[in-house]
Amino acid sequence: MPETTPAPVLDGTRPTRALRLGVAGPVGVGKSSLIATVCRALADELRIGVITNDIYTDEDARFLRSAGVLDPERIRAVETGACPHTAIRDDVTANLLAAEDLERDFAPLDLVVIESGGDNLTATFSPALVDAQIFVLDVAGGGDVARKGGPGIGRADLLVVNKTDLAPYVGVDVDRMVADASAAREGRAVVALSRTDEASVAALRAWLLGVLERFRGGVHVAQDPGPMAPHFHADEEGGGVLHSHAEGDADHGHTHTHDDAHEHAHEHTPAH
Amino acid sequence: MTFLAPHPSTVALLLADARLPGGGHAHSASLEPALRGGMPPADVPAWMVGRATTVSLVEAGTAVVAARLLADAGPWAPEDRDAPPAGGPDGGVDLGADLGADPGVDAVVRAWAARTPSPALRDASRLLGRGYLRVARTLWPRSAAVRVLVRHDAASRRPAGLTTGTTSGTTTGTTTGTGTLPRAVVLGAICAAAGMPPADVVRLTVYDDAQTAASALLKLEPLDPLAPARWVLDACAAAEEHVLRVAACATPEDIPSSGAPLTEGWAEAHALTTQRLFRA
Ligand SMILES: Nc1nc2c(ncn2[C@@H]2O[C@H](COP(=O)(O)OP(=O)(O)OP(=O)(O)O)[C@@H](O)[C@H]2O)c(=O)[nH]1
Ligand SMILES: [Mg+2]
Repeated sequence: MPETTPAPVLDGTRPTRALRLGVAGPVGVGKSSLIATVCRALADELRIGVITNDIYTDEDARFLRSAGVLDPERIRAVETGACPHTAIRDDVTANLLAAEDLERDFAPLDLVVIESGGDNLTATFSPALVDAQIFVLDVAGGGDVARKGGPGIGRADLLVVNKTDLAPYVGVDVDRMVADASAAREGRAVVALSRTDEASVAALRAWLLGVLERFRGGVHVAQDPGPMAPHFHADEEGGGVLHSHAEGDADHGHTHTHDDAHEHAHEHTPAH
Repeated sequence: MTFLAPHPSTVALLLADARLPGGGHAHSASLEPALRGGMPPADVPAWMVGRATTVSLVEAGTAVVAARLLADAGPWAPEDRDAPPAGGPDGGVDLGADLGADPGVDAVVRAWAARTPSPALRDASRLLGRGYLRVARTLWPRSAAVRVLVRHDAASRRPAGLTTGTTSGTTTGTTTGTGTLPRAVVLGAICAAAGMPPADVVRLTVYDDAQTAASALLKLEPLDPLAPARWVLDACAAAEEHVLRVAACATPEDIPSSGAPLTEGWAEAHALTTQRLFRA
């Protein structure tokens, strides 16, 4: 089952460090722009740091620095050895160290945002690195992408359908895409975003502040979207239930235990 | 529950395995800087032999001396039911006692730094050292050798002048040491914890450096992925005649001082570029 890592707590209740938020999604969907939007919307009330994981290092960090939404010193790039997927999942060392450094150099920070290198639909953050993650798609990638699923689309804490202002030009029905995504996510949070649509930015902002509040209250539990497909649990009758390990809504963290009354065999259906 | 210790050779295999999450995948063992600096790809096999018989031996000697020093740190800490979890910020090590920076460790770090003139390479090695220390304190939380380094590391992070355990509240000028530990020194602690024979420490260090370059090469140049595997074996074979000499290093002064000035220059230039796949 996916690992869940509670935020480190002091005196059993409160986390001692900044909330770490991952932003993942395919190339060019607007991850850096979304981070710039978050900084713009929250820079007055939150102390923010950003880490980028570019494939050719510097591009995202430079974009964000030039956006002028955050002190350039608070934006750091880490190298990924041409493996952006590895750097956020299989070996998170470089990102963890960068997060530690940012928090030490600009203590205290409220939020550290980590942008993954643009990768494919299977790339998600390890809960050993982030407390919560946003998976970003854009309408220009096509209305079908949300239906294709994958761990990020299905189980990230928030799915953003970005660049809704472009929908008329690419023939995508945003409402339909959001409905498909919500169905694939069993009701977990979805925000249809455009940086030019104030209301959508406000929705993103409210979601983030909600996560931060639960994190600070010590009740947020990091969820792992997992690299794999949902598990298949066979029941005694020989039937089975498809079971995802992060069921429930995305509005509150919860720990998941396998304490169902019946014994169940644990079959892992092959991923993809 | 009692845990059986793995054979030191098994620990060597673990450490040499790129799948171990210690942060190594973002490093190229100086290969990317060399290629970007103009070294022809055809020279890579010779360059790998060059590293195996120069800078790799500096790293290996440092690890061997650190391992010898830290093997004297005492036996494993007793099983302590109440020990905090190993993954915590200080790896469950009690920092209350103001042991702080270890002068012996500092001497090894200084000897290593003197033999590693490029600040960019020292920085990269210290970054790898931090990743390795996470590995060490998570996998060998009760090793006395690892605990010495965890305390040493904590002392280096303490703001200057601040000491734990002072009663007067005034600063006592306790040393904060030589700063973040380089990878070779942390490797020494792990090898001490595992009881690895010094010759194996040397071979492991040489192999890891060569394999790191070989694997980075596949990301940087088009070639048959099996070709660099041959060059790894050749580089390790070239180092073999030095293994026993380096394995015999006992003091910081004994650490080989064979350098590679061109590599150091390339490393400095690389640290200033903005388009890198690998940190160093
Ligand atoms: N129309 C429109 N364009 C957007 C929006 N958000 C981002 N873009 C554009 O989309 C392009 C890619 O944006 P980035 O923020 O660089 O995307 P990214 O996901 O960070 O890209 P990589 O890091 O390269 O994977 C840029 O040209 C942005 O200006 C939006 O809300 N509406
Ligand atoms: Mg980007």
